[in-house]
Amino acid sequence: MPSRRRTLLKVIILGDSGVGKTSLMNQYVNKKFSNQYKATIGADFLTKEVQFEDRLFTLQIWDTAGQERFQSLGVAFYRGADCCVLVYDVNSMKSFDNLNNWREEFLIQASPSDPENFPFVVIGNKIDVDGGNSRVVSEKKARAWCASKGNIPYFETSAKEGVNVEEAFQCIAKNALKSGEEDEIYLPDTIDVATNSQPRSSGCEC
Amino acid sequence: MSSSDSSLSISSEDPSDRNHDLNPKSIEDQLASTSLVEIDAQEPEDHREIQNGVDYASAGEGSHHQEIENNDEEVIVDAAQEELPSNFGVPGGLVEVEEASMGLGRGGVVWMRTNSELEVDRPSSPSSSGYAGERGSSGASSGGVSGTDEVVEDEIQEDRNDAVDDVLDSQASWVPGKRHVDEDDASISWRKRKKHFFILSHSGKPIYSRYGDEHKLAGFSATLQAIISFVENGGDRVKLVRAGKHQVVFLVKGPIYSVCISCTEEPFESLRGQLELIYGQMILILTKSVNRCFEKNPKFDMTPLLGGTDVVFSSLIHSFSWNPATFLHAYTCLPLAYGTRQAAGAILQDVADSGVLFAILMCKHKVISLVGAQKASLHPDDMLLLANFVMSSESFRTSESFSPICLPRYNPMAFLYAYVHYLDVDTYLMLLTTSSDAFYHLKDCRIRIEMVLLKSNVLSEVQRSMVDGGMRVEDLPVDLLPRSRTFPHLGQHKLPTDSPDRFRESYAGVGGPAGLWHFIYRSIFLDQYVSSEFSAPISTPKQQKRLYRAYQKFYTSMHDRGIGPHKTQFRRDENYVLLCWVTQDFELYAAFDPLADKALAIKTCNRVCQWVKDVENEIFLLGASPFSW
Repeated sequence: MPSRRRTLLKVIILGDSGVGKTSLMNQYVNKKFSNQYKATIGADFLTKEVQFEDRLFTLQIWDTAGQERFQSLGVAFYRGADCCVLVYDVNSMKSFDNLNNWREEFLIQASPSDPENFPFVVIGNKIDVDGGNSRVVSEKKARAWCASKGNIPYFETSAKEGVNVEEAFQCIAKNALKSGEEDEIYLPDTIDVATNSQPRSSGCEC
Repeated sequence: MSSSDSSLSISSEDPSDRNHDLNPKSIEDQLASTSLVEIDAQEPEDHREIQNGVDYASAGEGSHHQEIENNDEEVIVDAAQEELPSNFGVPGGLVEVEEASMGLGRGGVVWMRTNSELEVDRPSSPSSSGYAGERGSSGASSGGVSGTDEVVEDEIQEDRNDAVDDVLDSQASWVPGKRHVDEDDASISWRKRKKHFFILSHSGKPIYSRYGDEHKLAGFSATLQAIISFVENGGDRVKLVRAGKHQVVFLVKGPIYSVCISCTEEPFESLRGQLELIYGQMILILTKSVNRCFEKNPKFDMTPLLGGTDVVFSSLIHSFSWNPATFLHAYTCLPLAYGTRQAAGAILQDVADSGVLFAILMCKHKVISLVGAQKASLHPDDMLLLANFVMSSESFRTSESFSPICLPRYNPMAFLYAYVHYLDVDTYLMLLTTSSDAFYHLKDCRIRIEMVLLKSNVLSEVQRSMVDGGMRVEDLPVDLLPRSRTFPHLGQHKLPTDSPDRFRESYAGVGGPAGLWHFIYRSIFLDQYVSSEFSAPISTPKQQKRLYRAYQKFYTSMHDRGIGPHKTQFRRDENYVLLCWVTQDFELYAAFDPLADKALAIKTCNRVCQWVKDVENEIFLLGASPFSW
């Protein structure tokens, strides 16, 4: 472990299937986009190093599958997340309506210590589709919902054209970082011989 | 059986001897009577096919069943448990052989029972272990050959450069610290490494990786966590995944996950034991209180707490390929005259009485003396981890230090404080206390100890022992008369009169008598082992590592819970004859020339045991032992 302290941030991306979670991640990490839809099986993991205010961070991005049949993976996947990104498709009302479910599901499964202030970021994706003509969720509506949930930062992106993706992830990193800065001094107990009921192990079992 | 007579006569002549001096029935007797029984049974090739590719010997009908993990090598196992002398009177435990479980679900493993005497007579036998069969099969034993390669190249299978790198990866030339930091899971070289170790948190955050940069491996680490948690969600636990030549071994300890991915063909039990030690090393540095941090905050990142300890882990992992203590769960002593060790022990005892919990004087990984406060006992694994921690951390060498450490087997929850000071380049003193403000007291203790050690020449004796080395197979006494108790000091034990020239000369340069190449003797009562010095033909690091792995495998098969434990085992492959003999008092592992004669090898093992007993005052720390299991 190098002397320079680095921070690793676990970022979970949630949202209905087909809203573009994997595409967002690919655009952000690899600067690539593919029109072909390939459903994520279970989860994909990507890492990206980010510099932020002279510090280096590693984002460990958990791209989860949107299909309901993968929901059983919940606890395991959500545990210890530093930030949760909720993604919907601005051309699909249902994917927007489901944001509430995703958010609640996450808070139940991950049970963060301070759920009120857990850092979420909401992304409305696919703003490029049909020149914006097929859009059904207005920015105003989305922002209103974000405001009602404790002022969740909101971004509108096009994973395909790379619009706003970098900015969204910058914000994600910043928010994840904020929630991580609560290190306490590590102070385990010292053995007290006087009252020490020594838990003697049974020795080697060979 | 003159040897057994003499052994027994010693113990009867000397009733004051402690338990571990009792000589069990000679290994010759055990093996000899076994052979007779098995010849009666008329089933020299008594093994059956099982549909999942497991060959195993019949457990029900034969009175003996001894099974050895066997890939392509030949195996001879002799069951001797029935010949166990009843006068030991210990029911069950180590000497009992469980009849039932045969380790079925273990694909690709061959279990067989054969009898060497019959095999030698019938070289055409398919599972021949005779010399003729050995010659005949030398070209066909491809599995054995690849096994050889494996030991040579722990790092990379194909890459030539790294194969060379690994040959250098010996005890002497090993370079501490992490290598190949530039790699990640996309690197071909990383993927080809033969043995990976990972530590990660239950949220999938990487904590340690043997190769490559932890942060670059964050995605891989997340994948491991996903696998573990997925199985856990189903109310189950994943222990082992086999994928072709690779084994993926998991160890889940609360919020800390350890994973080993290996294609070294080491047994699962060995790899799991290594993960346990790695976890223990982490506990030694941080205590189990880290669990509380994860309870409070699942996204807790513990890498900062482990900052700078890469070298401790890599040194421990390196010891998995040379230090027998890592699988024997015993420690070893620096050979010293009895009086010298006593002198060291006396002054350590002195400070232990003044509020020091443990006082340990070591030279490299060998114990000179150690003392514990009343009722406090130190587990050999804790000693291994503590010594590794101290030796691998460069800063301990430069000045006296005071550091919190935790002994996982003593109390995994809390810290002790270790005062560490190097008395010379290899010799260091560790004083463990429960008091965080005892530095100046311990410093005074150290000054007193150092003075006494200098005055009584202990330190110069230590230096001399380092130069002289320990037991050498070439020096194995060949006469079997009971020795006087005043055996000369090891350093001067070249006894020309004791070693007939004809014997010595005929084996010059090829190990000891009867083709004995090396041995390890572990005293069960003392939790200590002694290992002979490596000498020709086990002279290169490569050969030493191969032998180490063979012992490790042998140890596992002797202690297999499903089919063991065993009393004796004789195994011949293209590299060695390996012989193991386990009694209540000791375990002996001996390696011979692959062409060694079986009867002679057995005789030689008896001599080794006698020799060890003759010099036990010098090679072991006796008496006042705080180890009370």
